[in-house]
Amino acid sequence: MSALLSIRDLSVDFALGSWLDIGARRQLNILTGISLDLAPGETLAIVGESGSGKTTLARAILGLQRTSGGTIRFEGAPLAAPSDFARVRRRTAMMFQDAVSSLSPRMAVGEAVTEPFAIHREPLTDRRQTARDLLAEVGLRPETASRFPHELSGGQARRVGVARALALRPALVIADEPTAGLDVSVQAEILNLMAELKDRLSLSYLIITHNLALVRHVADRIAVLYLGRLVETGPSETIFARPAHPYTKSLIAAEPIPDPRRRRADLAIKGEIPSILRRPSGCVFHTRCPIAQNRCRTEAPALRRGDPTHEFRCHFADI
Amino acid sequence: MFSGADRSLLRSLLSDPMGALGLALVLVFLAMALFAPWLAPADPVKLDVSQKFQPPSLTHWAGTDQLGRDLLSRIIYGARTALSIAVTSVGLAGLIGLLLGMIAGYGPRWLDALLVLLFDSLSSLPMILFALAVITVVGPGTATLILVVVIVSIPAYARLIRAQTLSLAGADFIQAERAMGAGPVRVLLRHLLPNVVGPLVILLSMDIPVVIMLEAGLSYLNLGVRPPTPSWGNILYDGYTSLRSAPYMVLIAGLPLVLSTLGFTFLGEGLRDALDPKLRHGVPR
Repeated sequence: MSALLSIRDLSVDFALGSWLDIGARRQLNILTGISLDLAPGETLAIVGESGSGKTTLARAILGLQRTSGGTIRFEGAPLAAPSDFARVRRRTAMMFQDAVSSLSPRMAVGEAVTEPFAIHREPLTDRRQTARDLLAEVGLRPETASRFPHELSGGQARRVGVARALALRPALVIADEPTAGLDVSVQAEILNLMAELKDRLSLSYLIITHNLALVRHVADRIAVLYLGRLVETGPSETIFARPAHPYTKSLIAAEPIPDPRRRRADLAIKGEIPSILRRPSGCVFHTRCPIAQNRCRTEAPALRRGDPTHEFRCHFADI
Repeated sequence: MFSGADRSLLRSLLSDPMGALGLALVLVFLAMALFAPWLAPADPVKLDVSQKFQPPSLTHWAGTDQLGRDLLSRIIYGARTALSIAVTSVGLAGLIGLLLGMIAGYGPRWLDALLVLLFDSLSSLPMILFALAVITVVGPGTATLILVVVIVSIPAYARLIRAQTLSLAGADFIQAERAMGAGPVRVLLRHLLPNVVGPLVILLSMDIPVVIMLEAGLSYLNLGVRPPTPSWGNILYDGYTSLRSAPYMVLIAGLPLVLSTLGFTFLGEGLRDALDPKLRHGVPR
């Protein structure tokens, strides 16, 4: 299979404590056994609560976070040496959750959107014109080029982020909460813009979000992350129509639906996400699971398949 | 290339009366220092004992001292002494502090620990005592003074820059630069430097009067600049020894010290307001 991005059994650990206590440092396990594939032109959404490791996964792909196990292959070649990450950073663009603060505060917008050319020493004949073209592509006026980040609105900053991401025509765009902090009409504009650019430039998206409404509209496939473990992956339609894992079921059930007569499903998750410092034994979800049994407390469920494209980790899910 | 940020910095500095006054005073002293040979009406070291203790007059605007030297000329040349020592030493210390601070803040953690240890050891030296010790060992003079100030000032600047760098190193825009593939040199020079240098410029401007005072103080004690080279400190000392016969000397020698201190301090405060990008554009204060 010619996946654009292929992750196998990836794990990430954070070291706890000071760098001085050599040998005695505790490892905090953030991500375990993540395996994912992203085909060219596909939109994959990674869904999970805060603290589930979504952003760490994105950082690991770009080499911003050291991994402690597993492999990441990008365009067929494994990522290991620093030069591999230079390649993936050239071909991948990341859009950060906070659009304003991800722009360098003393750099004018025009310079910021053309900076990828300078970083990767790509030829650039007319920097001003390129900046104007990129801004026009995301629906911003040419005057925006001379603005500074603190002078932009949230929606404008988001568009600048998109323009900068597309500067070098990447193969993959990683978008961390692309609609965070925007009001609903601007959210829709940004999503439409991203969809339109995807078709025109044949991009792949990796969207990191907790917003299921967003996922329903844009994602081809969904991967649900819970406390650093993938609990369910599958095509978007399958996941929304027949979610297998109780966590996915409750996420979908918790999605607000504008219909006062419709009753909330009784399958709701209890309590808060446990601290990653004290990860539950067995199945990580058993502390909040409505169908948990004794077996879940001791034995971590293996990956099961509903159909060839649909995978989940649950002992008792019925398909 | 996309905007005239420097012009608006100057405009916002001038719109603040204190900042404008500070800038004006600093420019006057800088002009005195740079153009001393053209501005001074007489040779600052030429003796004319027949003219000693002349009160201010048309020929000697600021009067003469106990050896008949023109005081205005000595004050103007004293500005050259004071500013060349202060600007050189503070500038040098600022540059070294900037470099070490950014390396400590953005470099590997073991290097940071090592540099912080260095800063802590250096800042445990009390400035005046250290200065006296160094002068005792290598003898008084301009170079000694500069050396002492550089060594003693580095930790404060480096710490300030390190703290700024540390707080920005985890910021989203630095992460974004790294995600785009920017190397450490670009991140440090293009993105961290412009955002950490503002507070340092303010601190440097406010530290220049401290060094001017140190130079004057040591020269007053005859441990700084050697006579007959004019320094505000040794003019003040001459005035003190002849306080009864020529009381105006102390006032005339003290005035540039007061005015230069005020000038650099006002400039520093004006810069602090002007350098804040959020205050710069049309927000009323």
